[in-house]
Amino acid sequence: MKKNSAFVIITILLILCIIFALTTGQYHIRLDTLWKVVSLKFSGKTPTDDLATPSMVLWSVRMPRVLMAVLVGAALSVGGVVFQGIMRNPLVSPSFLGVNHGAIFGASLSIIFFSKSAFSIESFAFFWAVAAVVLVYLIGNRGVNTITTLVIAGVIVSTFFMAAGSFLKYIADPYEELPAIVYWTMGGLNNILWANVRRASVIIGIGITAIYIFRWRLNLMAIGDEEAMSMGVNVNRSRIIYMLFSTLIVAAGSSSCGIIMWVDLIVAHISRMVVGSDHDVLIPFAAILGAAFLLFTDTIVRILPGGEIPISIITSFIGAPLLGYLLMKQNNEWKG
Amino acid sequence: MQNNNILAVENINFRYRQKKILDDVCFSIHRGDICGLLGPNGSGKTTLLKCINRILNNENGSIRINGRDIAGLSRAEIAGLIAVVPQELNIMFPFTVLQMVLMGGNRRFGFSGIPGRKDCSDAMETLEELNIDNLAERRYNQLSGGEKQMALIARALFQRAEIMLLDEPISHLDFKRQYTIMELIKKITADKDLTTVITLHDPNIAGRYCNRLIMLNDGRIVHQGLRNNIFHAESLEGIYDMKIKIEYTNTGMEYVLPHHIQ
Repeated sequence: MKKNSAFVIITILLILCIIFALTTGQYHIRLDTLWKVVSLKFSGKTPTDDLATPSMVLWSVRMPRVLMAVLVGAALSVGGVVFQGIMRNPLVSPSFLGVNHGAIFGASLSIIFFSKSAFSIESFAFFWAVAAVVLVYLIGNRGVNTITTLVIAGVIVSTFFMAAGSFLKYIADPYEELPAIVYWTMGGLNNILWANVRRASVIIGIGITAIYIFRWRLNLMAIGDEEAMSMGVNVNRSRIIYMLFSTLIVAAGSSSCGIIMWVDLIVAHISRMVVGSDHDVLIPFAAILGAAFLLFTDTIVRILPGGEIPISIITSFIGAPLLGYLLMKQNNEWKG
Repeated sequence: MQNNNILAVENINFRYRQKKILDDVCFSIHRGDICGLLGPNGSGKTTLLKCINRILNNENGSIRINGRDIAGLSRAEIAGLIAVVPQELNIMFPFTVLQMVLMGGNRRFGFSGIPGRKDCSDAMETLEELNIDNLAERRYNQLSGGEKQMALIARALFQRAEIMLLDEPISHLDFKRQYTIMELIKKITADKDLTTVITLHDPNIAGRYCNRLIMLNDGRIVHQGLRNNIFHAESLEGIYDMKIKIEYTNTGMEYVLPHHIQ
């Protein structure tokens, strides 16, 4: 009952965040106007003259951005929960395995040597984010009880890509390329188009669906390799599957929107506190909460006086103190 | 004549970084046995259990269950034959006892591995059988040592395997709970038609509850056989490297003591 109520509340919260995000901004759209524009779209009619502007704002600017925030919020959060589960550590996030530094390196490569187009940056960031995790797996996978070696390999690969990224920044043109890299690194959804949404939704959709299907076995992975093996889990194969799909969804999010910090960690923690550790419930809950959290944060970023600021600044300002507060509230164990 | 061996370990060796941990280990266990593995720390008891469960791969020889070499079985097939109760399980995420027990049924839950309503009620029944259904919604992390062992035994039972391996399940429990858990193991082995292999430190407990014993020292089996044939001071002295005496209570029960204790 408690978990059902939590799902109802979080789903209502997400719907409210979506309505808030679609109606709020420099161009305000009234609720009844929103309803009319959406109804016209789904009935296939052309909007009347008075609805032309809100329709254009809604379908060309806000809707792709809102959908992307929902997708990326869900992807980062689910990725966080999965990585914490397979690493058996509530303080691990995909960035521990080099996803972020790989993505930054890839984006920097594209900006300096190839193209500043969104598609090119996105593709390079995605490729190198996945490559970083593959490298971590190749270095760190040592069969049974491999978690520590994976984390150490993550530190090694992250540090390497961080150094490589710093080198690229050092040689970048300080007037055009360097600001582009720095701005991309801070993350944001301000340049999102339908094309970005289409690309990301395919990868994130497939990844989250696969993780959702196999979500319950994460429980076994989360209690230990030997335990999971004793109960019939092929640990190595399962770890590859979970790491693959969670890396793909996080890389798809990061490559589209830059590095958005803290969403994975903070949403995973809050979700565990609300619905417990059972991944059967935790995965869908974290997806909805993550979508609502990122969408709300992005809307705040959009409407702040003085113009839009990179979203990671806000997620970090919210995430770091909140996680500190939650940690201080814990005793010796992580409550579920 | 029907072969009653359920588990046959044939000439296995295991090496860790050149150090021989198991040296030509060879034994068999009959269906319904409670087989105690005795030996000092580092004698290879836990390694042997891990080889039987194929967590570790033995160098040579074979381990057969019902005549099938486990080297050719999948993890799910092995889980259908062997359930494990670890010495102590500390987990980072606080699953409830019911969730922990459900995990034991993993191999039966199909492709995606999600338990259904029937599986949940079956898991509750298992808890009821052990009289710990009151713990179902408690967090495993917050249980006492004895309750944790009960929960892990419930999980092993829910796995519905034929063989149960227990790695020092009572070594960190108080006096009363050691006997509570051992009585439970004896009862479920008989009631559920299981075969149990259990590593123990206390020869008194082993002598009381096991009908078959395997005594290990330095990775080699030094004595093995039915409890009544090999449970004597000389065999125990051989594995613990100390003088041992066996005395008797008024009712004729044996108890093992170091020789210098009066």
